Amino acid sequence: MKIKLSNRIGLLSGSFLIVAGVAVGLVASFSDTAQAHKVKHSPATLNAFDQVFMEQVRLGDLLFHGDPATQKKMGVTLSKTGMACAMCHPRAADTHPYEYPKFQEQINKFSTLRDITNWCIEKPNQGEKISVDSDAMKALEAYMYWSTRGSKLDPGRH
Amino acid sequence: MPNEIDKGRRDLDKVLRNPVKRPDSSVSLTRRTFLQRSLVTGTALGAGAASLGLLPLVNTIDVAQAAGESFRFAWVSDTHLYGPGVNERFVDKTVKAFKEIQGMSPSADFMIFGGDLAQKGRQDELQLGSDLLKEVKIKKLFIPGEHDWYLDMGAEWEKRFGGSPWSMDHKGVRIIGLNTIGHAPDYWTAKKMSPEERMGHMEALDGTVAGAWAGLGRPQLKWLSDNLAGWPKDKPIIVFSHNPLYNYYAPWNFWVRDWQEVQEILGPYSNVTNVHGHTHQVLYNEIGTMRSIGMLATSWPWPYAPGVPNLTTPMVRVDPGDHFDGVGWGSLTGGDRVENEYMMWRKDIFATAQADSGAGDEGNQVLNERIADKQWPY
Ligand SMILES: [Fe+2]
Ligand SMILES: [Fe+2]
Repeated sequence: MKIKLSNRIGLLSGSFLIVAGVAVGLVASFSDTAQAHKVKHSPATLNAFDQVFMEQVRLGDLLFHGDPATQKKMGVTLSKTGMACAMCHPRAADTHPYEYPKFQEQINKFSTLRDITNWCIEKPNQGEKISVDSDAMKALEAYMYWSTRGSKLDPGRH
Repeated sequence: MPNEIDKGRRDLDKVLRNPVKRPDSSVSLTRRTFLQRSLVTGTALGAGAASLGLLPLVNTIDVAQAAGESFRFAWVSDTHLYGPGVNERFVDKTVKAFKEIQGMSPSADFMIFGGDLAQKGRQDELQLGSDLLKEVKIKKLFIPGEHDWYLDMGAEWEKRFGGSPWSMDHKGVRIIGLNTIGHAPDYWTAKKMSPEERMGHMEALDGTVAGAWAGLGRPQLKWLSDNLAGWPKDKPIIVFSHNPLYNYYAPWNFWVRDWQEVQEILGPYSNVTNVHGHTHQVLYNEIGTMRSIGMLATSWPWPYAPGVPNLTTPMVRVDPGDHFDGVGWGSLTGGDRVENEYMMWRKDIFATAQADSGAGDEGNQVLNERIADKQWPY
């Protein structure tokens, strides 16, 4: 296990995309063997974890900005009006993920960030709503949280 | 980036705190909010909004002269039209605004279109815009927005709507139209971008690649200075620009990068009103002797950026399920006194309570720069 890990860490250089691909493999090999927190984390390991997260942020950023190639790759149609999420929410402004869950006026029920994301896809964007557990939804969520990091957590706020 | 923003804020603060320089109080601007019921019944496309009990509110500015003659004009900007068949909602709202302007009684002296007619600067978008503009038969003036420009560097825009900057004198007021969008630092040549890629980076408000694209540039600053050289210091000036002529939020180009030089030129004049688009929201500010009014888009409202000017009464929180909400046009009266009326298609425009304010969540919110457009192949 240890040898395998250091081999993989040795590859952690070059472009972001290659690093991210390797990092996914690294984390998978950890979870396979239920090794979480059994070994002290090296900076390289922590960096690899971060790369996994940032790859989702990057994908979410592209989806949020309406990138056609990423939508096609992930099999989603987030808008049919030409509008992208970021056109009303530059830098994810006013998505306020730190306010969820809460009562959502538009949906008229207690809702999560994923619920309102789907509402936006379906109503203003006239796109096709996505599964709340889908890779695309997780990536969008990663981007919204990352982009508003440092905001004050205030669940339930209208 | 946050440090740059802080520095910009401190610079702006220095100007704002200058107790000597304020707009001439005898010609202070008043914003009026009044509902025009006749426009609801008079406009076929208003049916959706009217049935919801929403009444139109027009962006109007009255320039009422104490000594001279006053006149009325209308502002429309940020229609962001796509090619035919892509987004009918944007077309409907543009047509509604143009019909209302043509129906103004008494009629406006002119309409100024403040930029972002198109979304991607394409010929079919600008053609659609030209076709819809035929609805307006009064005199039309134009300044470009960044969405009109960066596909072909303004060629199609200027062929249709003429060049800028320009100026004219109207009933005792010097009226100036600036081009604040066509002077971006070259971010495309070294990266060998196609025209579509260049436009794509400009299209994202929160993109990082196009950088500080909003500005007048040296030659236009000189033009402005020369243009005003013979103009009496106490006579009214109205400056139209796509971007605000102060530093509100640089990361979204809610500014011009050379706003301090602009203020140096305008500073000696006691009665200057800047009317701008691009921010898609209700805005009001005073910088030195200049008052600045941000106008509505017809397409969609941008959220308030961090650092809303203290003098702004924010517009209401918008209902994203109603595409006629939070948008509109403007009717202004000109002369010694500029009055602005926002024509937003709803009953209440200005928010008093935090829970109703479009800027209400700003206190909790921290925003960060995007990353995906910095990485290969973007
Ligand atoms: Fe715009
Ligand atoms: Fe713009």
